[in-house]
Amino acid sequence: MSAHTEKEYIYLTPMPVRIWHWINALGIVTLCITGIQIRFPEYVNILGSYKAAIRLHNTAGITVSIFYAVWLGYYLIVRGNLFRLYVPSTYDIKMGIFRQVLYYFYHFFKGGQSPHHATPDDKFNPMQKMAYMGLMLVLMPLVIATGILILNVAPLREWIILIGGIKILVSAHFLIACCFFAFLFVHVYLATMGHTPLAHFKPMWDGWEEVEHH
Amino acid sequence: MLTLRSTILAVSLLGVMTAGALAADKPQEQCLGCHGDRNISGTSGSHIYIDPQQYSQTTHAIIGCTSCHEAVSSSHPDDGIRPSRATCKECHGPVQKEYAASLHANNAGCADCHNPHAVKQPMALSGRDMNAMCAKCHDTARMVTVHDKWLPQANLHLDALPCITCHTGSRNYVITMYIEKRAGNKPHGDFKVATYQDLTQLLPGDKEVKSLIDTNGDSFISLAELRTFNRDARHDGLRLWGMMTPEKVTHSYQILDNRWDCTFCHASGPRALQTSFISFPDRNGTFARVAVEKGAILDLLYGTPDFYMMGSTRSTALSIVGGLIICGGMAFAGIHGTFRFLTRNNRNKEH
Repeated sequence: MSAHTEKEYIYLTPMPVRIWHWINALGIVTLCITGIQIRFPEYVNILGSYKAAIRLHNTAGITVSIFYAVWLGYYLIVRGNLFRLYVPSTYDIKMGIFRQVLYYFYHFFKGGQSPHHATPDDKFNPMQKMAYMGLMLVLMPLVIATGILILNVAPLREWIILIGGIKILVSAHFLIACCFFAFLFVHVYLATMGHTPLAHFKPMWDGWEEVEHH
Repeated sequence: MLTLRSTILAVSLLGVMTAGALAADKPQEQCLGCHGDRNISGTSGSHIYIDPQQYSQTTHAIIGCTSCHEAVSSSHPDDGIRPSRATCKECHGPVQKEYAASLHANNAGCADCHNPHAVKQPMALSGRDMNAMCAKCHDTARMVTVHDKWLPQANLHLDALPCITCHTGSRNYVITMYIEKRAGNKPHGDFKVATYQDLTQLLPGDKEVKSLIDTNGDSFISLAELRTFNRDARHDGLRLWGMMTPEKVTHSYQILDNRWDCTFCHASGPRALQTSFISFPDRNGTFARVAVEKGAILDLLYGTPDFYMMGSTRSTALSIVGGLIICGGMAFAGIHGTFRFLTRNNRNKEH
């Protein structure tokens, strides 16, 4: 094989993160489907009975919560790079996000290249950082906290009253869940924007991503 | 005596309650002269003491003591004859027939649940009062454990439902709300159904208790009045607590097939929960219901903040907002993908 056809790979996604990602993905899809039935039971009956939908929703919710704690612990303690990976830098906020938006909505269509290249220590472009920070460090803790309260209405009623009553709680849980549902579409679509449609899926499966040379 | 009793019964049945009550006044006064004195309990047991206040509020007071306890002679108690016990079926025939066919019939008589000298109309009872009757035999903690085997959040369900909402022949239900107050006025005390005295303390002068919410006094609670109450209630350590109560009271204690299906309540759709009432405590320990404007259960922010039933009380406005958020995600992928497809040649040139 000649040198110019050799491909270079980097180990982008460690195994614990991949395991977490796919369990999380399965969990969130399950939560979205069962969530639709829970909110609109007279129109949607995917699981056969309402009770089945509730039980599966609760199980998936608890699973996602536990794995979220594992994910947080892994990045905070084992790797110690949670904030470097997920919190946008000053440059990202001043310029990076603008450049990335310009790429996605203009240069990409013109055939230009992404201004960001993923490395294990800088996996996400500024837009990804903003989105993931919002999702993983704000919305995920909120949806878990509201879910835990809804799951324990009787014993935690005082907390529920403190935040304005069960209707506020359920509304917040629902709206945050809708954000995750919307994110599923955006996330899967953007994942197809590598140099081949499956290029970004591969590292999330086996850890290795092909380095693009231009 | 017999003629008088028959007359009273006939008059009562015709609905002339006041006249009946007046006619029955004298013999009752005679009975309560002794039986209304707490000291009487010492001689023959507590069951022969009748609380005059409680008894006077019952519908039984209209027909009088001797209508049920027929064999009382004019020389009672010196004659040594024990007065006959009441036979409820004489008046409550259809109820007795229905009850006799139920599983309860062999385990409890009418008076085990309904003290005939303190009995209240179903609508004059709080949901918690109803469950207190069941809890005499069915220990609440054990019932939570039993229901927990199949019912998610059994403790919450048993707290928010009178047992007879499911264990009944009533096909439908309504939402009844009670004003609850923190016990002992403590900031973190448990909520208990507020008594008449609790609520009158919050009102100036001789205002009726219902004026706490029904501020314009039209015996109808509008959403605006409910919002105002909810806004202020927290400062007074109050809250509204909604319970599903059966529309019709039965004594069959059957479990209709649809009660095993969660969607009987949780999927009945917003329309089914439009009918609600607020039960205000009366001076005599009973409750009086006042109708609430339709939609109170669904009003997201101010209607009944502590009442929500998965699947049924969802807010349409919020569902639309949520739907738009999801559509936004789909639209991004769809629109960007379309442009991506249309401009694919620009990228192919690069490779």
